[in-house]
Amino acid sequence: MQPLLDQYARVDFFDEFADQLGVPRAHYAGLAQTLGSIDIAEFRHRVDLVNAVLLQRGVTFTVYSDSRGTERILPFDLIPRIVPAGEWSLLKRGLEQRVMALNAFLGDIYGPQRILHEGRIPAEMVFSSKFYNREMIGFRVPRDVYIHVSGIDLIRGRDGTYYVLEDNLRTPSGISYVLENRDVLKRSFPRLFEHYQPLPVDDYPRRLLDALRRSAPAGISDPTVVLLTPGIYNSAYFEHTVLARRMGVELVEGSDLLVHDNIVYMKTTKGLQRVDVIYRRIDDDYLDPLVFKADSTLGVAGLMNAYRAGSVGIANAVGTGVADDKAIYPFVPEIIRFYLGEEPIIPNVPTYDCTDDLQRRYVCSHLDELVVKNTNQSGGYGMLMGPSSSTIERARFKEAIEAYPRDFIAQPIIPLSCHPTIVGETLAPRHIDLRPFVLMNEEVDVPPTAFTRVALTEGSLVVNSSQGGGSKDTWILDD
Amino acid sequence: MLSRVAESLYWMSRNVERAETLARILDVNYNRTVDRNAAGRERAARIWRSVFDIAGISADVELLDGASLASAAFERCTFSTEYRTSIVSCIRIARGNALSVRAELSTEVWECLNGLYLFVEAQSPRSVAREGPSSFLRSVRDTAQAFGGIVDATVSHDDEWNFLQIGRYLERAAMTARILRNHAFSDDSAHEWQRLLEMCCASEPFAKAQHLSSDPHEALAFLFLHRSFPRSIRFCTHEVDRALHRISETAMGAYSNEAERVTGRLQAMLDFVQIGEILDEGGDRFAARFAERADAIGSAIQASYFPRVPVG
Repeated sequence: MQPLLDQYARVDFFDEFADQLGVPRAHYAGLAQTLGSIDIAEFRHRVDLVNAVLLQRGVTFTVYSDSRGTERILPFDLIPRIVPAGEWSLLKRGLEQRVMALNAFLGDIYGPQRILHEGRIPAEMVFSSKFYNREMIGFRVPRDVYIHVSGIDLIRGRDGTYYVLEDNLRTPSGISYVLENRDVLKRSFPRLFEHYQPLPVDDYPRRLLDALRRSAPAGISDPTVVLLTPGIYNSAYFEHTVLARRMGVELVEGSDLLVHDNIVYMKTTKGLQRVDVIYRRIDDDYLDPLVFKADSTLGVAGLMNAYRAGSVGIANAVGTGVADDKAIYPFVPEIIRFYLGEEPIIPNVPTYDCTDDLQRRYVCSHLDELVVKNTNQSGGYGMLMGPSSSTIERARFKEAIEAYPRDFIAQPIIPLSCHPTIVGETLAPRHIDLRPFVLMNEEVDVPPTAFTRVALTEGSLVVNSSQGGGSKDTWILDD
Repeated sequence: MLSRVAESLYWMSRNVERAETLARILDVNYNRTVDRNAAGRERAARIWRSVFDIAGISADVELLDGASLASAAFERCTFSTEYRTSIVSCIRIARGNALSVRAELSTEVWECLNGLYLFVEAQSPRSVAREGPSSFLRSVRDTAQAFGGIVDATVSHDDEWNFLQIGRYLERAAMTARILRNHAFSDDSAHEWQRLLEMCCASEPFAKAQHLSSDPHEALAFLFLHRSFPRSIRFCTHEVDRALHRISETAMGAYSNEAERVTGRLQAMLDFVQIGEILDEGGDRFAARFAERADAIGSAIQASYFPRVPVG
């Protein structure tokens, strides 16, 4: 028998598992022992069992590029990622700070706009954002909470420093995998699990429901919450079903709702029933055909009026996208300083603002060493990875950047940290990131639920599930 | 509950029930027609034609002879996706319904149905045909029956479950009626009415209830009118009636909508009719008339609970 651990090679990146000498870090000692006593055959056996369970459970996502709308299991790597208590408490404080500041920013730019009047952020950056929603100006959202749920993408650089790569403040997904992965992993490695005793994740739906119930209009003691899904063809449909089921709320489609006299109702077998809070998993643009895209069949006609009349809560609030616009991202440290008077606890990745002449010129002449992101796209679409790009691709991006500088940002390539991962028949280092899910109801609540994505292709830094990424269970440790 | 959800649950339940009954009917008739002593060629051909009618799959079967009828029955009633009422189609439809109400289903219910779907999709029709369809049909039947048990044991017995019950029993009543409609009432042979009982899963319960009676009329009375046999037309209609009244909370015997009125009226007739009257009318004619009424109940349920144009 050749133990899995013997095959694991060192790489020139920050390795979560081992230090520069190849010695497992203290919090990975338990895992190292398991990997040292198990071979690939036994491991494969467990993987096969897990995949069969995931398929039967329907833990799948839909691939849009496939015309048949094929359901696939999100590749799940059974080697858990472990976050020690010390790191997590730092991250937790950093996330609280960041979400608090971003929420204050939203209340400000849809209200008094102090930050713009004081010139701390160029006003045109905000007003030119396609996610800046003029319907929301002057409207005070219930309890001043905009960002009920966020998924903040964190990465670690070469020295192990955590950075925020992206703030996902609209409808971030992945939490269902956190819940399901834990469920199956617990069964595959019960003894290892017992040894580590990671913080439980299954409290998340309750905490989410709590945050949602608090966003009901004032005076409703027992609010009816629904989860609004685009339907079974949406790539995250599985997640919507998991959350609705675990929270015990109705999963509704736009056609199940109607608005009458500014009140939202759902159509039930016993007639119309009032809805107080909508946890929507559809984008702003599709929410209400009377206000946004007229041809949207996913939304509900009259919903925005009902929202503005204060008869229904919507989570996340409409218009939060402006705060996670990639062009606003470089200003987040400034946003934290402005509203909280603190220095950011988790730094940003250094970012070039292409609307600035000097920076744009630098970007255009260094495309081969930068990553360029389109500010209007997400999910790994519309991206240029400099070092692996072709001359033609670079030329095309250069032209686009010069024509529409507002639509692009550029960043040096941060070599994401690595983690032991099963690839084919061996154990190999692969790049990972971390997406903790953060809740907000007046205060920020950071449950120990984080999603680790892993780039399964050797050398790849792109972890998105739509781009061939996989996932890992993330064990957050207590003191 | 949401009207859309109620509708999906109802159809999911109907389609699983249908797949189960169809699997059993095919299995029974394979066994019966390969048995040399039992069936002549002509009788085999008649049997397969009746299977097509029960399955709701018609079209150009008159021209086929016995052997090709059997293979055509296999092709069209199991793996064909061309017919909406084949086993594969029913399971796909049921799974599609389940997917759209995934949040309402217990994990166990979903996993059972998804497992059945994955099993059926993974089969190769050719190898199933080569090995004989029996083990495949039995797997479908067993899983579909387990599905019913899981539903009963893991879903709260409130509206959600009531709509599942309605789908299950309305489909079952309709299938029993279709089986009876195709029965050769003039054929008194033990072989023929044993086959009839087996298709309805009734041969053992009947033997037990009637102490090995060999009176075909008793067998027919059992399938039409037995008070507690769970596949008799009367029992199934009663279950639909009860589920409807649980939903509306109207007293049994009264009605608050069209679905309850037509079901209650049919129920009253079944409670008081005698088997002699049915046979005087012609059992097949009576069964056909019942099947039409079952369709009317379906339309009334549709109109009462999942209206296309919402009220309000």
